[in-house]
Amino acid sequence: MKLKKLKIFFVALALLCPVFVYSQVQERFPKPDFESGYVRPDLLTPAPRSVVWEYMDILVLVAALSLATYFAHKLRSRRNIFLLMVFSLVYFGFYRKGCVCSVGAVQNVSFALFNLAYVIPLSVILFFALPLIFTLFYGRTFCAAVCPLGAIQDAVVLKPISVPEWLARLLSMFPYVYLGLAVLFAATGAGFIICQYDPFVGFFRFGADFNMVILGMSMLLLGTIVARPYCRYLCPYGVLLNWMSRLSRRHVRITPDECNKCRLCEESCPFGAIKKADEETQPMKKETDVKQLAVLFILLPVIVFGFGWVGSRLDISLSRLHPTVSLAEEVLLENAGKRTEMTDATKAFRATGKPLEELFAEARAIQTQFHKGGWILGGFIGLILCLKLISLFIRRRQLEYDVDKGTCLSCGRCFAYCPYEQVRLGQMTPEELKELDRRDVSIKQFRA
Amino acid sequence: MMEKQNKELHVKNRTELWYNIAKNIAIVTAVLAGILSVLMIANFIQTKSVDPLNSQAISQLMTKLQENPEDTVLIEQIRALDLLARKAYFTHQWQIRTGSYLLFTFVLILLLALKYMSSLAPRFPDLTKGPETEKTWESRLLSRKYILYGGLGLVLLAFVLGVLSQTELKKIGIFQPQKNQATSGYASLKEIRDNWPGFRGPEGIGWAYHTDVPKEWDGPSGKNIRWKIEIPYPGFNSPIIWGKKIFLSSADRRRQVMYCIDADSGEFLWQRELNDIPGSPERRPQVTEDTGFAAPTMTTDGTRVFALFATGDIACLDFDGNRVWAKNLGVPENHYGHSSSLITYQDLLLIQYDQNTGGRLLALSTLSGDMVYDQPRDVEISWASPVLVNTGKRDELILNSNPFVMSHDPRTGQELWRVRCMLGEIAPSPAYADGMVYVVNDYARLAGIKLGESAEMVWEYIDDLSEVSSPLASNDYLFMSASYGTVTCLDNKTGERLWLEEFEEGFYSSPILVGEFVYLMDMSGVTYVFKADKEFQLISRNELGEKAMSIPAFMHDRIYIRGTKNLYCIGE
Repeated sequence: MKLKKLKIFFVALALLCPVFVYSQVQERFPKPDFESGYVRPDLLTPAPRSVVWEYMDILVLVAALSLATYFAHKLRSRRNIFLLMVFSLVYFGFYRKGCVCSVGAVQNVSFALFNLAYVIPLSVILFFALPLIFTLFYGRTFCAAVCPLGAIQDAVVLKPISVPEWLARLLSMFPYVYLGLAVLFAATGAGFIICQYDPFVGFFRFGADFNMVILGMSMLLLGTIVARPYCRYLCPYGVLLNWMSRLSRRHVRITPDECNKCRLCEESCPFGAIKKADEETQPMKKETDVKQLAVLFILLPVIVFGFGWVGSRLDISLSRLHPTVSLAEEVLLENAGKRTEMTDATKAFRATGKPLEELFAEARAIQTQFHKGGWILGGFIGLILCLKLISLFIRRRQLEYDVDKGTCLSCGRCFAYCPYEQVRLGQMTPEELKELDRRDVSIKQFRA
Repeated sequence: MMEKQNKELHVKNRTELWYNIAKNIAIVTAVLAGILSVLMIANFIQTKSVDPLNSQAISQLMTKLQENPEDTVLIEQIRALDLLARKAYFTHQWQIRTGSYLLFTFVLILLLALKYMSSLAPRFPDLTKGPETEKTWESRLLSRKYILYGGLGLVLLAFVLGVLSQTELKKIGIFQPQKNQATSGYASLKEIRDNWPGFRGPEGIGWAYHTDVPKEWDGPSGKNIRWKIEIPYPGFNSPIIWGKKIFLSSADRRRQVMYCIDADSGEFLWQRELNDIPGSPERRPQVTEDTGFAAPTMTTDGTRVFALFATGDIACLDFDGNRVWAKNLGVPENHYGHSSSLITYQDLLLIQYDQNTGGRLLALSTLSGDMVYDQPRDVEISWASPVLVNTGKRDELILNSNPFVMSHDPRTGQELWRVRCMLGEIAPSPAYADGMVYVVNDYARLAGIKLGESAEMVWEYIDDLSEVSSPLASNDYLFMSASYGTVTCLDNKTGERLWLEEFEEGFYSSPILVGEFVYLMDMSGVTYVFKADKEFQLISRNELGEKAMSIPAFMHDRIYIRGTKNLYCIGE
């Protein structure tokens, strides 16, 4: 009964969203009438919201996070998580057009930290912090049902394949690189690349740059067989969530009781976030590992420094993405006769009469920031690389099938595979569980 | 037991039924989405190919209408056809929009159906095989290897991005400014002084920085004449030099030409006739013989060259002779012909455009020719050229005109100061040295103006004044040559006359300071070299062999002089 009510609530909310969209349209000045019948194109970026509606967004976020956590931890219901995910997709995705989003908020926070003149809106701070706080306590329930970027990818997961572990580990480096770059670009004021290269925002806004639409479509197409590719191998916010989730004390578990190592859940996670019990594992030669690990520890500072140095060498290349540096470069090339036509930006700049030396001084200052930031970025990537390698040497005994706290998205797919879950739900008696022949198990019996 | 089996069978049948329904929905929506996609692509291509504003049928009817503009039937026909074309265009657009929404709906239904089907296909492991935990360790070994490779790949990528892609910027040197290197793309002061970029040399004040030049030559006998080349068309402008390239211009009633000559060989590298300049007057303005159509000396910013003609046509070419831009400034209202020369400041081309209609200071973008500012000046017509000086506090563009000598901020055109001290038809350009500006005009005065908090005239001299030739200031002296053949030297701090010499011919050309010596050419082409000192000491008298009115250019160990017919290179 309760479930039915919840479902009706979500459906009603989803249906009401379009009404909200039109009720939110605000115009400062009346639109001009065109006798020619010209229709003004819709804006691709959402208009600023009134403060009241910003608070509404925060309320919805808190409610969604709370419900996601409740569904994952208390009800252990994949179906409810899925429905909430659909709601989030509609509200935060299509209605709010993907803005403000927690993933992008990383950049606002970075920018605010390095530019004290920037007053970061409260809603952005909360969108950044609340998912992290919830994750710190309850795992990545935000990813499961609240994040619209995750939701749109989850919606297209059809026939997921298992990505080989070595490839998954290799690809898991990219979110760190992306995070480092995003923070660097935001801190220096070069731009918000996470938003700029968001592959899904075009769908939410029904319009985007052609290349980004192609990228988004490719990502969704890939997402039908590689579940949530952006979340797993690109999302910079996922790095922070991963760290928080590792520290969470009340993370979801596959089994509500104890693991009998029936292995039924082994393939249930499309994200490869299940740690298999390895009591039968034959240990490798330890001596070699210890030696290699010792070398790695000795080399760690060298690697970090080396990566830092390489990062610092990227200063000029990376700083070109900063509008001031890019403008300075264009002006410089034009002055040197290497550009025959002026760009709109250089024309506008020249019309201001601002001395060129001032522009170049600004560009040099920004490049210096990139030089310093490059050191930190490179060092950070080097450190992550080393830590990832070190983690591959560490042997922890896995006594039961459990989720990997860092990568588990708390989506609840694995719950139904556990026979103890069936017992909890009353689908199976404890006696039946004892008699259960694992090889004849059918999912129909386990659907929650 | 039976009941349980029946229940399971019921569940199985129900699941199968829903699975089949989902499957059929998926097939139908997939087919519909496919058909819709094909239709939309066809529609898109058709829409792209139809351009109602450039309809061929309408164009033909429009042509007919031009022949018979009163034909109301034809007008109605055009209107109807235009409306039809536009309707078709917007209908296509509507179809694409509606199709997109339909396609989105189909894809959504297809996705839901597939999602439902996939939810009925659980992912169970093959339990007949043992757990793959051993493989996990193998995989970890592999992971170590590939993470290491990945790290190396990142380093390599960063190297390619960081080291190889910044060569262009490094070459230009924006980020690592070095001594004596331009940081802004345009030429530095050192580069300007290393060359001869405009009228009266660097900054336009008549100072040569290449002092190791011949003091003796003889045109008729060929002594110290390295080469000479005939310039095909007339022009009183002076040669300018950048590196190994000499630029000058010529014009007559029919043509306007820019030349580039190799400084070593004296051969033409290119000649460009300037045609099809937008706004260029079909009827040439009236000019006097001793001004001509190409009196203004060209200028260069080290990358491009600029030339202005009596027609008001101004052109910018690159060093290879390619036209960068060209335009007409408006035909000058000038009874002798426009003669004020050009000068560049950073990315601005500055033009003193004082005409009968009023004074103006123009700044064009050197890159595009776009007007950056057009500063009105309440002065009379003049023929003098601007000089650009740094007073120690700021850059100033100083213009001699009637009745004011005025200084402007070269960046903005804003007036900085003015001193009323001139009258008549002003042709001599200002001189500058050590915080003092010197201006002269015949029947007016030679004025020494001290720059400080405000500019003020501190002395004046009223004898033997120049009417065309510009004065020259060294650190201690001021030299003035007049068209009736006198040369006067004064103490530049007090205006006290130190000496006066009379020569056979008059002077239109202006004196140039070359180290300790002054080079001054008279109208017959004879150049006098004398010491820049408080007593007159003639070093040499050098004939060119033809008349000349231009300013010699001094570069490296050579002097370049434009006569009325030939360009000479003088070097030992």
